[in-house]
Amino acid sequence: MRPRSRFSRRYGHLWFVLPGLVVFATFLIYPMAKAFQLSFIDWSGLGASNGFVGLANYREALTSPALYLAAWHNVILFVAILIIQHTLGLFLAVQLNARPRFMEVYRTILFLPVILSLVATGFIWTLMLSPNIGILNPLLEAVGLGFLAGSWLDDPRFALACIVVVQAWNHIGWAVVLYLSGLQNVPQELREAAQIDGANAWQRFWAVVFPLLAPSFTALTVITFIQNIRVFDVVYVLTGPVGAPAGRTDVLGTLVYRTAFGAAGATTADVRLSYAVTLAVIMFVAMLVCISLLVRVLRRREIEA
Amino acid sequence: MKPRKVEAAARHFLLCAASLVVLVPIAYVVIASFKTLPDFFANPYGFPEEWAWQNYVEAWKQARIATTLTNSVIVTAASVLASTFLAALIGYGLARKDKPLALALYTLFISGMLVPVQMIVLPLFVVLRELGVLGTHLALILPYTALGLPMGVLILTPLIATLPRDLADAARIDGAGEWQIFRRVVLPMLRPGLASVMILNGVWMWNEFFIPLVLAFRPSTQTLPVGIMSFVGTYSTEWGLIFASVVMATAPAVIAYVAMSRQFVAGLTAGAVKG
Repeated sequence: MRPRSRFSRRYGHLWFVLPGLVVFATFLIYPMAKAFQLSFIDWSGLGASNGFVGLANYREALTSPALYLAAWHNVILFVAILIIQHTLGLFLAVQLNARPRFMEVYRTILFLPVILSLVATGFIWTLMLSPNIGILNPLLEAVGLGFLAGSWLDDPRFALACIVVVQAWNHIGWAVVLYLSGLQNVPQELREAAQIDGANAWQRFWAVVFPLLAPSFTALTVITFIQNIRVFDVVYVLTGPVGAPAGRTDVLGTLVYRTAFGAAGATTADVRLSYAVTLAVIMFVAMLVCISLLVRVLRRREIEA
Repeated sequence: MKPRKVEAAARHFLLCAASLVVLVPIAYVVIASFKTLPDFFANPYGFPEEWAWQNYVEAWKQARIATTLTNSVIVTAASVLASTFLAALIGYGLARKDKPLALALYTLFISGMLVPVQMIVLPLFVVLRELGVLGTHLALILPYTALGLPMGVLILTPLIATLPRDLADAARIDGAGEWQIFRRVVLPMLRPGLASVMILNGVWMWNEFFIPLVLAFRPSTQTLPVGIMSFVGTYSTEWGLIFASVVMATAPAVIAYVAMSRQFVAGLTAGAVKG
């Protein structure tokens, strides 16, 4: 055995951490610190900065209706997708857990959209929903609901609902596989014991099985939260960087992007890099607070269960 | 036995319906990618009159798929390998929580998962420009590698901690250094975990849109999703070409998934449950 100095015995393991830490610090921690710094200056991103402005960016952001409207759309998306995941997703997982024939085929198909990029998903649904060449409208006409047909993505009443549908289509696979793996971990003896005690199928599920799915419930809720607060690609592809029509689908992701890089119809005065970074910092802090609350509540629920 | 049969039939009916909801839009896009422009209006809902294979030839050229596909492969492969390897090293270094700083560093890496890309991508632009790598593949590989670390560390560290210690101890008595133990003892036992991390990070790196939209602004370094988007910007009415390019951009990931769906599902679920 090679002799090792006291120092290397105590700190030797850190050599393994060092290369990764350098990359992590340079491309994640430093840009974050830089983001905080940028949020205190006034800079359009081009040319010279107008110098330190203190909390002015924050004051402007926190009093701007655009921020709250975008955040509100993120919340609507999150709640809608959450409900779909925990009902339809759970339901489909329960069906798969009964191990029907072709179970693997069904699972492979239902998880497939998760693999597709959100850009591809956006195009798939642009085609489906298009008033000219889509198939949703003729489908509605075929079942006698022709009066509902419309140009879905341009209609302020339906545009956000379209985003929900597309986002749900892309993400339902997560709910299916997460709940399925949770269901497969429920010991069969527990269900049998409950059956002997006279519980019917419905009672067995809600009293015995569902509480044991708490880890799946937690994981799904947290990833749904992150996915829908960060959402950008789907909205960008379906309704563009201004959250058309009339800002009805504007979310935090598009708001930040538009503020930093502009969009059709924007003037150079609208493009303000340091203000965009401030919006992103606010988004990060809000997410951090919500996630820690969410995890605390959900973990407590897991322990009680 | 009768009710059970009814139940099974109902179950198949429901699962088939759900599968159709997934498959019909995809199939419809594939069919649309073979249509000529007049065909879209003459015959919007059916199969094309004549299958327009030239859509693919055209789109391949016009959307510069050869370039963006190569870029996507290079960037994803390099980032996945670098990120997974660095995460395994970190995991080995931090696996023993009683060592100084191990828990603090572990927490630091994990919390990287909460950082929204919108917040760091703008400062990253400045950092990469200072390093002189803007406009090269490294401008994507370096940030992807860093952003892949939290998930890698989260999955690999606990796995390494549960590996049997006696093997490493035996190697140590035989005079192996820590590096050799990592390479010859730990890495081979870690294979399933490494596969999970590679799939999980590979899928998002392949599909990532926002980061390359900002950082790979030069056409020569664009990846597939951004390339498709900028192609659509210029040819917004050439529906057949657009869908042909979408199909080509999506096919590699779908083929890999169908070939290894079990590994994909297991890998992705492992990451999500941990997270």
